[in-house]
Amino acid sequence: MKFWPRRYWIRIAMALALGTLLAQRAIPAPPAAEPVAVSAGGAGTAPADYARIHTFLQAHCIECHGPTKQKGDLALHVYKDVKSIVKDRKVWEKVLEKVRGGEMPPKKKKPRPDPVETEAFARTIEGVFYEADKNAKPDPGQVTIRRLNRTEYNNTIRDLVGVDFKPAEDFPSDDIGQGFDNIGDVLSISPVLMERYLAAADAVMRRAIPDQLPKPMVHRVGPLFLKPNLRPRDFPGLKFRPIVDTRKLRTSYALPGEGEHLLRVKAWYERPDGDWGEGDEPAAKLGLWVDGKLVQSFDVLAGEKSPDLCETKLNLKTGEHQFAISFLNPGGEDSGRALRVGTFEIHGPADTRPASQIMLLACDPNLPEHERTRAVLRRFAARAYRRPVSSEEVERIAQLADQVQAQGGKWESAIQFAMEGVLISPKFLFRVELDDRPDSSGQHAIGDYPLASRLSYFLWSTMPDAELFDLAAKGKLHEDAVLEQQVRRMLADPKSHALVDNFAMQWLQIRRLKTFAPDTGMFPDFNEQLRQAMFTETSMFVDAVFREDRSIIDLIDGDFTFLNERLARHYEIADTNGNPAWDKEIAPKGQPIRGEGFVRVHLADRNRGGVLTQASVLSVTSNPTRTSPVKRGKFVLEQILGVPPPPPPPNVPQLPESATAVASGSLRHRMEQHRADPNCANCHEHMDGIGFAFENFNAVGKFRAKDAGFEIDPSGTMPDGKAFRGPAELKKMLSGQKSLFSRCLTKKLLTYALGRGVEYYDQPTVEAIVSALSRNDYKFSTLVVGIAKSDPFRQRRGKEQSQ
Amino acid sequence: MNSQNAISRRTVLRGIGCAMSLPWLEAMGPLTNWTLGGETARPAPNRMAFMYVPNGVNMADWKPASEGTGFELPAILKPLEGVRDDILVLSGLTADKARPHGDGGGDHARAMSAFLTGAQPRKTDGADIRAGISVDQVAASRLADQTRLASLEIGCESGAMAGNCDSGYSCVYSSTMSWRSSTTPMPKETNPRLVFERMFGSGTNSQRVKRTARQRSLLDFVREDSGDLSRKLGTTDRRKLDEYFTAVRDIEMRMERAEKLPEPKLPDGFQKPGNTPAVYGDHLRIMSDLLVLAFQADVTRVSTFVLANEGSNKPYPFIGIREGHHDLSHHGGDMKKKEKLRDINTFHMTQMAYLLGKLKSIPEGDGTLLDHCTIVYGSGNSDGNRHNHDDLPVLLAGKACGTIKTGRHLVFPKGKDTPLNNLWVSMLDRVKAGVDTLGDSTGRLPGLTG
Repeated sequence: MKFWPRRYWIRIAMALALGTLLAQRAIPAPPAAEPVAVSAGGAGTAPADYARIHTFLQAHCIECHGPTKQKGDLALHVYKDVKSIVKDRKVWEKVLEKVRGGEMPPKKKKPRPDPVETEAFARTIEGVFYEADKNAKPDPGQVTIRRLNRTEYNNTIRDLVGVDFKPAEDFPSDDIGQGFDNIGDVLSISPVLMERYLAAADAVMRRAIPDQLPKPMVHRVGPLFLKPNLRPRDFPGLKFRPIVDTRKLRTSYALPGEGEHLLRVKAWYERPDGDWGEGDEPAAKLGLWVDGKLVQSFDVLAGEKSPDLCETKLNLKTGEHQFAISFLNPGGEDSGRALRVGTFEIHGPADTRPASQIMLLACDPNLPEHERTRAVLRRFAARAYRRPVSSEEVERIAQLADQVQAQGGKWESAIQFAMEGVLISPKFLFRVELDDRPDSSGQHAIGDYPLASRLSYFLWSTMPDAELFDLAAKGKLHEDAVLEQQVRRMLADPKSHALVDNFAMQWLQIRRLKTFAPDTGMFPDFNEQLRQAMFTETSMFVDAVFREDRSIIDLIDGDFTFLNERLARHYEIADTNGNPAWDKEIAPKGQPIRGEGFVRVHLADRNRGGVLTQASVLSVTSNPTRTSPVKRGKFVLEQILGVPPPPPPPNVPQLPESATAVASGSLRHRMEQHRADPNCANCHEHMDGIGFAFENFNAVGKFRAKDAGFEIDPSGTMPDGKAFRGPAELKKMLSGQKSLFSRCLTKKLLTYALGRGVEYYDQPTVEAIVSALSRNDYKFSTLVVGIAKSDPFRQRRGKEQSQ
Repeated sequence: MNSQNAISRRTVLRGIGCAMSLPWLEAMGPLTNWTLGGETARPAPNRMAFMYVPNGVNMADWKPASEGTGFELPAILKPLEGVRDDILVLSGLTADKARPHGDGGGDHARAMSAFLTGAQPRKTDGADIRAGISVDQVAASRLADQTRLASLEIGCESGAMAGNCDSGYSCVYSSTMSWRSSTTPMPKETNPRLVFERMFGSGTNSQRVKRTARQRSLLDFVREDSGDLSRKLGTTDRRKLDEYFTAVRDIEMRMERAEKLPEPKLPDGFQKPGNTPAVYGDHLRIMSDLLVLAFQADVTRVSTFVLANEGSNKPYPFIGIREGHHDLSHHGGDMKKKEKLRDINTFHMTQMAYLLGKLKSIPEGDGTLLDHCTIVYGSGNSDGNRHNHDDLPVLLAGKACGTIKTGRHLVFPKGKDTPLNNLWVSMLDRVKAGVDTLGDSTGRLPGLTG
């Protein structure tokens, strides 16, 4: 049986200790460079390092992996110096893994190296790698062409076509690698997905350019309902309402769309039979008023039998307007003359094309149709492919349109179809980075257009906007100052909330909340509202840290959060000053938290605050019926400190029945009994040690003092031996690990930004960003700008690069 | 392979009990031309489906005590009482490639991805996903020209929502059992409405014809238009592009087949299903119904059905189990946990029994639909507590057109590590795939014909 005993924890302890040290010195250094049993000062000279490695090999490895035997095709005697080891890094990483994991040398082989000796050996190799990385030829790594994931597809369609209805909803879920769903190597295309692409392209384009335009809307106001209105029962059957003086008949209406509207009313002229009075005019003048202005007057000559049609076309803006009709030349009540007006109608806007269609089809109407087709499609394809397109490309797309027209289709349908073709093209579905030297192993800068896409998908999860395209066209985007200015502009844009939704929610594993199903019997007050509120709290909190450009350390221990009434009740918080609900003597009093809306709440009690003590994280690290200190501890080590515990050994031994006889006591007590097994103790002592700090929060993140009737003991120790009691103290300690945390977050965000795992050759990039963070108060924007300006983000290479 | 056909169909078809009573399948007209021996009757074809359950099972309640015929059904297999003569329990098979072989932890990820492939999944969380082609896809490629869909991948749990599925393995490994090639996993469809639309299409007939014509020209366009692309792409990128064009070809082939093959018929009164039901049990039922429908209407002859992802930590509150499945599978010998595990295992088996009952209620040719199927049910883990991959829980149902003798418990010697893949090779024989090896197979599995 192999275990991950003390050695691993020594590593973490060293890393933690060093983290503190680094924060003070603010210089990059390997996470675990200080060898335990070798001379101080990190990795030694190359010959001294080699000598140490050689000694260990001779004593423990060469017998099976040397000149006589090469078990597993591995021969270690051929490595004669440090350089040769670095050259075969993959082999030696495996060696490192096996030796550290205790798998090698095999158990039955005696004498076993003692742990200190093993660790010294491993750390020497690490030191060698680290030295090599420092001096390594810079390498931007290789990014596999990435297909848009579901979120990116939805967002890109929204921005490209102007329809927002999440067409990717029916796509198969995207696979996850390295903790994220935007990793190029993992995103594959199956036949099912291809079918969905076809269906989505069809649905999207039919919405954007409908086959049949809806008729303009008509709004009608009957004569009795024009103001001042009359009661219908007083005037049964009245179709035409008389006006005898200068008072206007009014109505108001909020127009749903902008553009040309048709205003129409029927009217006739009522006058004393055959007896025209002196000065009578041959026509009644009807005035039509819009927003207090007379827009037109009509001569009404007709009698009752065939009323005149008074209508006019006007360009009107969206929104509320006042309409009125008046008799411009009345004779007064006693004159016997009246203008009779019927139903007032507003038709419009006349142009019922959706905004998407107007946008997509906009072009110079004077061009011949053939050229209009090409102009419209060129513009669309360039945006869809996120780069300029060649004339041949335009021509091929245009032929799709020509096909439709050749079969008698109208121009709009032809364009609709051609655009569908663009939407299923690999040039749209993949983020293609065209390269003149695709297989060149040398690093070279990517073009400004691919850079625009890398930026926009990194920060917005969508295609570049006009400004980015414009800078790319001018060839300016890659300039340091321009790039930084663009990153800051993009972060300020609301679209950068994508970083919260897609990066942070995956990093913190909050997406698991969606399927989290706590036992309803034990947690009867858990419901959909609470689930949603948990999600929103974390989303708004992280958004605030990002948007206000706060220190990333606030993520661990911020003094504020966002709550609505439901979640505040869950947290037993009374008001926006974070006063506890059960404390009647509260001062200073904040605003009470009411309703479904979220408000910013200052947290006085630091047991809450930061993502680790939010109900969302506390829930996704729990089991359905109880908390899991193991999962919570593992979460902190993995997602916050970036020192993941080794995976559990492949074969967990079965505990003897007697040892598992269910003991009574708190969960902690029972788990401690469990750990009486020395095989489990080593790792779990530390993992659980951190997890126990959160035992005051139950499996849905509610505070509790007791578990199963037993007082909760939230004390524990960090792997480096420092003791703490409760979440507030633990968070304080974690906040002190600035270097470890910022390195961890940098690696996560770099993974997300590049769409590939972070490799050893990224080490210099990571360390440079960590160092910049320490110089800039750990501001979030420093991290993002650092990544955007880094070599791996701005450069690429082809084939595998040898060391 | 002919030796498998040696026993007479009559012999094996003897003793098939009367069909269970099930509402919508009764009293409907034939859907295929081998259904009721009309003038154009042909012998019914062989179909295969693979059902996967995660986290192993409680073996003590799975494995029958005696070998051969007449064994007593242990607790987990009890739901199969009504079809006991149609099943063949296989004990002692091993998925060796699910073992670490130096790759350390990650038994769940390996169990799922090695189950049908017999290939060691590459331990990677991102770069270079790789397992091997799975048995269903070998069969599918062989039978592709016979039906509208070459294969149907379905399941009741979609891919993971967050990373870190299993110790350094990408989530794709623990949520996908079907692999079209060693680098292309076949994602499963979990939404019943979308499964139905894949099988029968949506819209009216004339709409479909029109749509197909349009799609053809679009696919022609992308093929023509993307020729210039690969020149400017590196090797790995070209590989991704190949994936795209393989999918394009796939659709084109499907369109061609759809034109040649008769329109699939729907049983009277079959309600088009809606989106994913909220209740897991309902979800399993409707997916089983769709699987039966797919075989009955001959839309496909190959399917995989993942009841839950490997390592799934779903609770089963509707049968009184509040703890997560995976947590329980690490029972540490605790009897209470083992009992709960057994109850989950039995619940899943009830779904299998429902599916088999349905298949058996449909008369087809000289027997029932079930007689012309092989339905495999199993897990790539044996005991979830130990994560061992030998002595796997595996059983078959259906007689594969008279080439499998059911109603038995076959035991392969413990410690011999008889590869599970030998079973797959033998099943491929039954669709005349002409394949002698698959993954880590060492030959064919003896004893299936009795």
